[in-house]
Amino acid sequence: MGTLLFLETFMKYDAFSKCHPLVNFLFFVGAIGMSVVIQHPAYLLAGAVTGGIYYLLLNGKKGWKIIAGLLPMFVILTVINPLFNTLGETRLFDLFGRPYTLEALLYGAALASMFVIMMLWFGCYNKVLTSDKFTSLFGNVIPSVSLLLVMVFRMVPNFIRKTRQIIGARKSVGKGAGEAATRREKLSDGMTVVGALTGWALEGSIVTGDSMRARGYGAAKRSSFMIYRMTLTDWTLLAVIAVLFALTVTAAGFGQMTAVFVPDVELAPASWGLAAYTCYLLIPTVLHIKENVQWHISRSKI
Amino acid sequence: MAHFQIKDLNFSYPTAQGKKSLDGVSLSIEKGEYIVLCGKSGSGKTTLLRQLKSVLAPYGKKSGEILFNGMPMEKVSAWDQSAKIGYVMQDPDDQIVTDKVWHELTFGLESLGCDQKTMRARVAEMACYFGIADWFHKDVANLSGGQKQLLNLASIMAMQPEVLILDEPTSQLDPIAASDFLNTVRKINIELGTTVIITEHRLEDIFPYADRAIVMDAGRVIADDTPRNIGKLLYQQKNDMFAAMPTPIRVFYGAEGEGDCPLTVREGRTWLSRHYSDPKVNALPAKELREKIENPALSLKELWFRYEKDSPDVLRGVSAEIPTGSLYAIVGGNGAGKSTALKAICGICKPYRGKVKVFGKPVEKYKSAELFGGCLAMLPQDPKSLFVKKTVREDLAEMTKDEQKLAEIAAICEIDHLLDSHPYDLSGGEQQRSALAKVLLTNPKLLLLDEPTKGIDNFFKEKLAGILCKLKGQGITIVMVSHDVEFCAKHADWVSMFFDGQILTTDTPRRFFGNNSFYTTAANRMSRHVFSMAVTAEDVVALCNQNREAEV
Repeated sequence: MGTLLFLETFMKYDAFSKCHPLVNFLFFVGAIGMSVVIQHPAYLLAGAVTGGIYYLLLNGKKGWKIIAGLLPMFVILTVINPLFNTLGETRLFDLFGRPYTLEALLYGAALASMFVIMMLWFGCYNKVLTSDKFTSLFGNVIPSVSLLLVMVFRMVPNFIRKTRQIIGARKSVGKGAGEAATRREKLSDGMTVVGALTGWALEGSIVTGDSMRARGYGAAKRSSFMIYRMTLTDWTLLAVIAVLFALTVTAAGFGQMTAVFVPDVELAPASWGLAAYTCYLLIPTVLHIKENVQWHISRSKI
Repeated sequence: MAHFQIKDLNFSYPTAQGKKSLDGVSLSIEKGEYIVLCGKSGSGKTTLLRQLKSVLAPYGKKSGEILFNGMPMEKVSAWDQSAKIGYVMQDPDDQIVTDKVWHELTFGLESLGCDQKTMRARVAEMACYFGIADWFHKDVANLSGGQKQLLNLASIMAMQPEVLILDEPTSQLDPIAASDFLNTVRKINIELGTTVIITEHRLEDIFPYADRAIVMDAGRVIADDTPRNIGKLLYQQKNDMFAAMPTPIRVFYGAEGEGDCPLTVREGRTWLSRHYSDPKVNALPAKELREKIENPALSLKELWFRYEKDSPDVLRGVSAEIPTGSLYAIVGGNGAGKSTALKAICGICKPYRGKVKVFGKPVEKYKSAELFGGCLAMLPQDPKSLFVKKTVREDLAEMTKDEQKLAEIAAICEIDHLLDSHPYDLSGGEQQRSALAKVLLTNPKLLLLDEPTKGIDNFFKEKLAGILCKLKGQGITIVMVSHDVEFCAKHADWVSMFFDGQILTTDTPRRFFGNNSFYTTAANRMSRHVFSMAVTAEDVVALCNQNREAEV
């Protein structure tokens, strides 16, 4: 029971998410950017493992479901590649009169894992860099665009809520598509609801517009409130990210990530580049675990 | 120097064919005053308030002059107007622009181009003053109506305005949230000296505290005086607006009191003690307790419901029997599940346990066309959700092809003159009646109403009561869910208390409110120490008059 509780709280507090959005953003730009170009199996393995762990830390039990869903994707993408790419020394069998080779299959696996890794990191990105963080990040650069985004984010759930309300209201006066409605009736009823919704939204947007102008929208050059502040930890992290990123890129320059699959598998030996890359990707996980452990220790002392 | 000086202001909308919406309005508002602007819907209150802020002023023909701090309004810069004149509107939801509480708080400051340091200080200050700190990081969508309106107020106060204009700010809120909001406004006025100009339906909460009340009718200012004098004046003029005055005032003049008129419940109690301390008649005849109900129009048995599998139960064993041909009111706090109970009755929510019987037949045995065509219908909380066409007439025509029937129902709901207007152009009370007409066109025998008095003024409430009375006369059973204790006390046949997902007690309004000491009407709170079970101003007046006659 104790360990279970420990794991539960383990997921709740993500230290990396509490960092400045700029740190979050730059990290993910680096992680996703590198994951879509590196094909070396050792690096892929590092990417998949670190991405998977962090994804699970963020999502808990639900994370397993998504990862399980990614596996068939991986298999399909892997076996498809040799159908298009017939190069390779080791012929496994013939399919549709074309050779199906081991090297092409391995290459497919590499491409498929690139895709899976990218999905994993994007999943983490979504969880960490929420819409408000994203917009606040660009608020200073382009205030009007960022405001527009914020308003759109607010509009979507509003629309859904109002649609439900209209459908419910129509149902309670016997309007709207019942159980026995034909497709045509359903369609025309849907159109009526959409029409009503548009009218309602327009009416609401007049009020919103008034409320914006009443609070000085357009009266001066807009500034943007930054709710997040760069702390010393953020600057340190940014430096670590920059150094590890530079190391990884340099390693790539030295050819440490060269991986050729067809016609023959040729891989550069693993070296310090791999270590740098792995360390880079482990940043959020390490922060997450470190914070939770510290928290548990300080709590157990009370 | 006056804060606002309005000189002979005339205004007419371009579509009004010369009819003036504001007619020779002259007013002077001093710094730090608390001013209540009252008048029926359509008397020009909103039009006047909007003239006090250029960006919100509607297009139309205007003459006269408005001075703000001695300067003509047109010459006050947009920046100054935004920062110094705060304006809160009716709709809590549509006024909010952004998706996070903290962002909404800073919206005005961002527009004015404030720097980070100022913004940080102001935001922290506002969050503390308004008690927002706990939900500072929340999504706006997760706030209650009252919280949203408080956020709207806070985000305006963050700009440190000199004057605060509020246009029916609490009409969409429940009574508790509304009085919270109004108390905050009063606190701002007293503690910060901000000038407040407010229009409100709920005069009970603000009238006693106002420095001045201004009454408008048909675009003219017909009275401008202290609240006490306004009460007297409206009574002498037999003005319709007298019905909207706080209960103590109505009782005082109803019972032909003399001297200083009481404004608050406390003053009302003192006045009653002085004149009716030992009443000969102390109760009105009460209706008989109900016996067993024969053939109830609606019976609910042990309804249980929750929205999601792991969310808490909203309905926790709701049971009720509603007698045919009665007006049955269900009162209770916000979020107690009253509206959900109505939704469960008409099948929008499906209870996972329990039975709903409509006219003795389980509701699931009805076909949908049979149930909603001539048996059961519900008026939703927001009448706008029923409007789908461009005119009221088209909306009604969606329900029936029978022109005569349409005209008949329109006459009952008193909307014949509004049939060709766009539903959104109507006032709250008119929208409510148009939506009611649409619902009535299904010929319901059982009518469910969800908060029918929300956002409408006293004058329209009486109209609505008249309509409901007519419908009851036609044998329609009405079940109403409401926060409005005054309305329920006056017009319902039965009142039920909804609490904790159940219906706890049911009784006649007199006994129900007469036995409560907090959850009751102002008239009852004012008179309970001398009379028993007097729950409306009319009850108290009747008892006062009977006692005076008995003495003579």
